[in-house]
Amino acid sequence: MNEEKEKEFEPVIVGFFCNWCTSAAADMAGTARLHYPPSIRPIRVMCSSTVDPVYLIRALQEGADATILGGCHPGDCHYINGNYKARRRVAIVKTVLKSLGFDDERILLEWISGSEGPKFARVMNEYTELIKKKGPSDFKYIDSLGGD
Amino acid sequence: MYNDKLRDFIKSAFEKKLIEAVMAPAPTKDSYTYALITRKEDVDKLTPIAPVMQWNGADMLRRITRLKKSGRKLLAILRPCETRTFKELVKFNQINPDNITILSYDCPGTVHAREFKNEKISEEELIEKMKKNEISEKVRDSCNVCEYPTPIKGVGDIGFGIIGVEEPVFFSLSDNGKEFLKNMGIEEGERDDTKWIEIHRNNREKWLKEERIKGGTKGIEDFLSSCLNCHNCKDACPICFCKECFFEDHSVFDYESDKYFRWADEKSGIRLPTDKTLFHLGRLIHMGTSCIGCGLCQQACPMDIPLYRLFGIVGNDLQKLFDYKPGVNDDIPPVMDFREEELQDFEGLPEEGD
Repeated sequence: MNEEKEKEFEPVIVGFFCNWCTSAAADMAGTARLHYPPSIRPIRVMCSSTVDPVYLIRALQEGADATILGGCHPGDCHYINGNYKARRRVAIVKTVLKSLGFDDERILLEWISGSEGPKFARVMNEYTELIKKKGPSDFKYIDSLGGD
Repeated sequence: MYNDKLRDFIKSAFEKKLIEAVMAPAPTKDSYTYALITRKEDVDKLTPIAPVMQWNGADMLRRITRLKKSGRKLLAILRPCETRTFKELVKFNQINPDNITILSYDCPGTVHAREFKNEKISEEELIEKMKKNEISEKVRDSCNVCEYPTPIKGVGDIGFGIIGVEEPVFFSLSDNGKEFLKNMGIEEGERDDTKWIEIHRNNREKWLKEERIKGGTKGIEDFLSSCLNCHNCKDACPICFCKECFFEDHSVFDYESDKYFRWADEKSGIRLPTDKTLFHLGRLIHMGTSCIGCGLCQQACPMDIPLYRLFGIVGNDLQKLFDYKPGVNDDIPPVMDFREEELQDFEGLPEEGD
């Protein structure tokens, strides 16, 4: 089992997807039979702004190699301005991580509307490729004995 | 001498019926506490300028005004950092500023409360050094690198100037303060504090460059390795005012034992209690944009972890991102605001070749 793991690194990516757009895009990508990697673990949330940044780093600490926050395009928020707030929160958490010497690219904020099934599949593919290239995250070793 | 001057000021304000209560530090056996007094006879118990800052005075004002505005005309004597905290907490609707007049002064810095307990030092000694534009080597790290060691126009009401003048002067910081001084019959004075600010800013520049915590997981774990998970830093922090904390009641992050065993499998062992480092990172994310720089997190740490290096420097990065200075003007805190066109760098996949 371990040997297999070493052969090909299959990242775990937790996605927090807005109910009104990115989740619908995921459904659309599925019904259109577009291929996207099984590394994504989607969680449906009512708005990108309901995701406190602590949940993003919590996912990374519990073992995810990356997290995606998917929201509506600017101006299209179902709750008028939730995505702008989400953007500020992501900017804050990314700045904290970068400031302490972590890889801030392991958190991704992406705007994917309900009609953008192909974009959803493309982003998931490209991001998985990127994380595969980066290798496993060492943020999961926060509060553990592992790591270097 | 300076405390006598301020006590006289308070007494005369009581006599002129401009105030009905005062909040200021008062000495205790081994330290200083904040005290609320309502009678002129009690004024002599106060030490308006204390060498120790055991709590943040703005946090004390929050405690007494969070349910209802101050019922009496209250004069609060706060350090410049506490005055900025006051302003920040007003923005967060945690303090009702009605009926409160703030007097702030040129701050010589404060000594760590535990060091003071072992070795007493008088405020006069710190002030004498300040008058020579020297920062005492006994003051706390955060005082040494303070960005605003003197009262700022528009923050608080009355300033008490000590630097560069033989006799201390009063000056107004707001319209309310101007009115107050006029009613007191005090002529407004001037003094030059640029040198005092400059030495602090130079220290700060150097500190920001040299004391940063680097190295990702290893860096932060090493830095926090002796942390007791007591959460004193959170309790001492005036910006951490939430009644319910993510990390206090663990119901948010409560799991069945199987999960812990699985994590132990995957991470070659987990540390218990769990989430010790995550707590600090979570706190940074929540309050970093509004970190005033009072340094009380560091003073509250029983293990002497230089926490201000973490919260101060990362906080500085966050505040630079939003071009925000907590407590110095009327800008809305970044976590309460947004723009439609901003922060595009944080969206989408990184560009190829980055």
